Amino acid sequence: MADIEDDTGVEGATAGMSEVRLDEDGQPMSKSALKKLLKKEAADKKKAEKAATRAAEDPDKAKKASAAGVDDDELDPSQYKANRELQVKQIEASGGNPYPHKFHVSHRIPDFVSEFDPITEPGVKVEGPDKIVSVAGRVHSIRGQGKLLFYDVRGDGAKVQLMASLKDYAGGGDAFDELTRTVKRGDIIGARGHVGKSKTGELSLFPFEMQLLSPCLHMLPKATAGGHGSALTNMETRYRQRYLDLIVNSDNRIIFERRSKIINYVRRYFNDRHFLEVETPMMNMIPGGAVARPFVTFHNDLSLEMFMRIAPELYLKMLVIGGLDRVYEIGRQFRNEGIDLTHNPEFTTCESYEAYADYEDLMDMTEEMLSGMVKEITGSYKIKYQPKPNTEEVEIDFTPPFKRISMIEGIEEKIGEKLPSFDDPKIEVKLELILEKFNLECSPPLTTARMLDTLVGEFLEDNIVHPTFITEHPQIMSPLAKNHREKEGLTERFELFVCGRELANAYTELNNPVVQYQRFLEQAMQGKEGDDEAMIMDDSFITALEHGLPPTGGWGLGIDRLTMFLTNKNNIKEVLLFPAMKPTDEQLALVSAHKKENLCTKGD
Amino acid sequence: MTTTTRNDDGDDDVVVLRLGAAAASTAAGADDDGTAADVSELEASIARKGDEIRALKAGGTTSKSELAPHVEELKALKAKLLSLAVPGEAEATTTTTTKTTKATTKTKGAHGGGKGRSKKGGGGDDDGDGETVVAVGVNELRDSRLAKVAAMRDAGVEPYAYSYDPNSSASELSRRYEGKLEPGEEDVDNEYALAGRVMVKRVFGRLAFYSLQDETGTMQLQFDKSRLGERDEGSFGNLKAWTDAGDIIGARGTVRRTEKGELTLYAREWTMLTKSALPLPDKFHGLTDVSKRYRNRHLDLIVNPAVRETFHKRARITSSLRRQLDARGFLEIETPVLHVQPGGAEAKPFETYHNTMDMELTLRIATELHLKRLIIGGFPRVYELGRIFRNEGISTRHNPEFTSVELYQAYADYNDMIELTEELVCGMANEVCDSTTIPYGEHTISLERPWRRVTMHDVVREAIPDFEFDLNDPSTLDAAKAAASSAGVPDVHKLTTVGYVLNACFEELCEPKLIQPTFVIDYPTEVSPLSKPHRSKAGVVERFELFATGREMANSFSELTDPVDQRERFEAQAAKKEAGDEEACDVDEEFLSALEQGMPPTGGLGIGIDRLVMLLTNSPSIRDVIAFPLLKPEV
Repeated sequence: MADIEDDTGVEGATAGMSEVRLDEDGQPMSKSALKKLLKKEAADKKKAEKAATRAAEDPDKAKKASAAGVDDDELDPSQYKANRELQVKQIEASGGNPYPHKFHVSHRIPDFVSEFDPITEPGVKVEGPDKIVSVAGRVHSIRGQGKLLFYDVRGDGAKVQLMASLKDYAGGGDAFDELTRTVKRGDIIGARGHVGKSKTGELSLFPFEMQLLSPCLHMLPKATAGGHGSALTNMETRYRQRYLDLIVNSDNRIIFERRSKIINYVRRYFNDRHFLEVETPMMNMIPGGAVARPFVTFHNDLSLEMFMRIAPELYLKMLVIGGLDRVYEIGRQFRNEGIDLTHNPEFTTCESYEAYADYEDLMDMTEEMLSGMVKEITGSYKIKYQPKPNTEEVEIDFTPPFKRISMIEGIEEKIGEKLPSFDDPKIEVKLELILEKFNLECSPPLTTARMLDTLVGEFLEDNIVHPTFITEHPQIMSPLAKNHREKEGLTERFELFVCGRELANAYTELNNPVVQYQRFLEQAMQGKEGDDEAMIMDDSFITALEHGLPPTGGWGLGIDRLTMFLTNKNNIKEVLLFPAMKPTDEQLALVSAHKKENLCTKGD
Repeated sequence: MTTTTRNDDGDDDVVVLRLGAAAASTAAGADDDGTAADVSELEASIARKGDEIRALKAGGTTSKSELAPHVEELKALKAKLLSLAVPGEAEATTTTTTKTTKATTKTKGAHGGGKGRSKKGGGGDDDGDGETVVAVGVNELRDSRLAKVAAMRDAGVEPYAYSYDPNSSASELSRRYEGKLEPGEEDVDNEYALAGRVMVKRVFGRLAFYSLQDETGTMQLQFDKSRLGERDEGSFGNLKAWTDAGDIIGARGTVRRTEKGELTLYAREWTMLTKSALPLPDKFHGLTDVSKRYRNRHLDLIVNPAVRETFHKRARITSSLRRQLDARGFLEIETPVLHVQPGGAEAKPFETYHNTMDMELTLRIATELHLKRLIIGGFPRVYELGRIFRNEGISTRHNPEFTSVELYQAYADYNDMIELTEELVCGMANEVCDSTTIPYGEHTISLERPWRRVTMHDVVREAIPDFEFDLNDPSTLDAAKAAASSAGVPDVHKLTTVGYVLNACFEELCEPKLIQPTFVIDYPTEVSPLSKPHRSKAGVVERFELFATGREMANSFSELTDPVDQRERFEAQAAKKEAGDEEACDVDEEFLSALEQGMPPTGGLGIGIDRLVMLLTNSPSIRDVIAFPLLKPEV
């Protein structure tokens, strides 16, 4: 809430107001909010003085500044809204429709710009009955007054100027006055007219007809003129009211366009290689395929407790058993875990399974896909990334091939000693000693798997910047991976790390049903030891395996994390349109009302 | 349909019996239908005999000759049981050397845990000869195959290989050699490697023919002892000893056409890729029980190529849809599945709970309200293709999770959406059916544009010609109810407006009859809380639903953009909820506040992907188009 404190002048003032309004939405006004209010008043005063000074200095500019909207900026938000609602009622009362059904758009705004900008000369208007163009979008600023107004209208990530002049307007003076009085910053409007450029060379539409398509009842936070800084920087507000974020911080739409490009690239990559896109259940009887706490739900009609999937792995392998040799699924997974910079309770992954491939093949595939994607989307193999807030940007190089580090060898090299062997009965004690020696904490229970994980984190993962495969994980850490064809106690697995974060995970799939059954039993034992993230026995999966899973390479990619890298964001909330947020007070009230209702009906 | 009998030991999932030649002829010879008493008596004898053999083995009797008479006796009993249970099926699956009869026996307590699994070496199962397999019960079969796993390991061969490099596929070879190679001719210049599942195994002394199925089709493999011996002397013996139908193998060799004209991979070498621990279900009899097919989709996919085709088509349908939308400038979006407040449709949601946030959540019943927020945010064309969840009963038309596409287009209305719907659906039909005239069950559906457009009012009038519904005159409510009642519409007495009565008449009398694609337009306001009022007709909104094959396929409106009107509609919903309607929603303040920011005139469209896939793949049930449909847990 303090992000805008440094701002003064017009922008700071409007931003301040929007914050106050949001406060009124729920929370009692805090001390800081009060402070802000005072600050706003001060800023308003300053602004008025500034305007006066400006008016004295430059009469032309003053005319522009005192545009239709400026007076409204003086109002407090609730008064502003009341005024707008009244205005809407007046339009309805006079037989108009403030929410019309349809406006025909001949040009999307980006198309308008790309089509006409190169072929229009400054100071020239292209007229003629066959040259009529219609556009629509949201009004971001209004300048001028009286017989000539300038509207900046935005849509689809682009901007067009409407140069609305009374002499062009087909409806006549009264209609022109009525319209220009009605339309405020934030409204959606449509305009029909001719294309031209102002004398200063600004591409414009000269409308002979304009229509209000949807009024904005709230005062829109203003974007700063210079493009740096924003009136909407409060993260809570940005995530909770993503539509406002997208309106005001129009660059943020690029994140989601890029996200869509990433997913499209993955899809095209697999489709081109004859992988079949499939959909497997999100509600499972047994949460399998990964280790994580699941969400629990209940099917009323079947009176059945169910779990939201934590991974699609087991279902996808059943399809490979069924003879769909190459399958992939891009979709949501759910884990009932805390929220932080890299975790959201629902997130998107891509998992793929390829019969007759092994983890070596998948490392090659990962290199090819990711390097190709980074190159295509960003134009280079190298990207800039800020790993954490308030840290230096680093350069990450996706040029293939990626480095490969065998996990155990890698740790041994870093700690300068051999790790105990996996059949050593004292392995746990020995690992504890190593942890102690390096002053490392591992949360209980101190199982071999968890202690190794701590060592990997400390000595390998955290040091990785460029894409690096950590390979050949011990069996105890990988209940679904196939044992290594040469190295005892290890599996044919890799994880891809970039900048200390896991991006992909893959293995040659364990397809021996007897061994899989034993691994599940071992996991169940770990579960008994208190590791509530151990995997659960899934009989139907074992039965499916008994029908024969071909040698298969399985692969998973975190789409959200990849999007974070390719949009240079270190908070997962920035790449999710609607990240999970703690409930607001209103929502809590609603929930408790709902609960009461339920209690009543249950009591009946 | 296979006769289903029950076993007493209760730990077997699916039991496939295979009989040797002698036993099969017994089976074929017996033509009496078994009575229940006969069957249970036989089952008891079989159980006793099995126990006897197990006891002998446990007591240290390992010699084959000592066990043989008992095993023979058991085989005879099993054969007799088969002849009673499955009369006249002896010719079901024919192999050249032996006749094989299979029957499936379904037992209770199917998912009893790993009880039988850890049991090792029990049962009189040692057939010793791959050709006349007499395996009894799933555990015995498994053990027999696991014994082969052990034998392979002993011989230094990995029965679960790490990878393989098939350089061709069944369909590719068929295409490449179509019209080439005379019978008996071989292309000696090219060597191909195929991988897939052994569907049929036939061995004649020094020669064997297998049928290998991969994702693209099947190919005959020919193994010849001397040819295999050129690269590995023991190869043919191993093939005979180690492989069973159901195994996944790789084979490398040249292509020839047999004297009979069948294209064949003439193998120079073979590799065990995955030893299957369980046999395949019988193609014709083992997997016709639909619920078993859905519960064991992996088996269904192996034995029913049409099922594979359906899921290939499903992928092409969604892929075509995405391509069409992307080409029109729509942006694919992901909105949350976990909602704080249900909305966007009238349906009962699934509830769940987030631990660390101590927060009750519901699974989305629609993507509508979030996607509209993005239209407000300035994305003029968005869509989401994803899973929706509704806590309702399961049926051939309903699965609790299903896939829909919702799309929103700024500055469009429901008329534009009608055009778009026709274009999209025809695009998908042309992609997977190569035609806009498609068969569905007994019907032929014509997707030739334009499709019929009819108001709800007019289509109901076809069913009730002698009554005029007036949505704007509440005083006609009783008359409307009477007209509906006498037309056979149930439960109209509870309805509170003429609009509800009209809608009930439509659902009851008209929906099932709309076989050809039909846009039903202009719905009563009270059944459409998110649609814009009609621009010229009072009492109705600008909405359509698309019907075909008697089912709703799509739903679309000119979206309601007036926040004041929207609040009133929400409040009417909340009142319904208050009155006990569990499907009604609450007032969504956050969405209203977003609407107040100004939403452009927008057309929205939702299409049910599963039902569309049903239509385009001629599938009668939604379970045919969902890989793993939810089924009642087996008791």
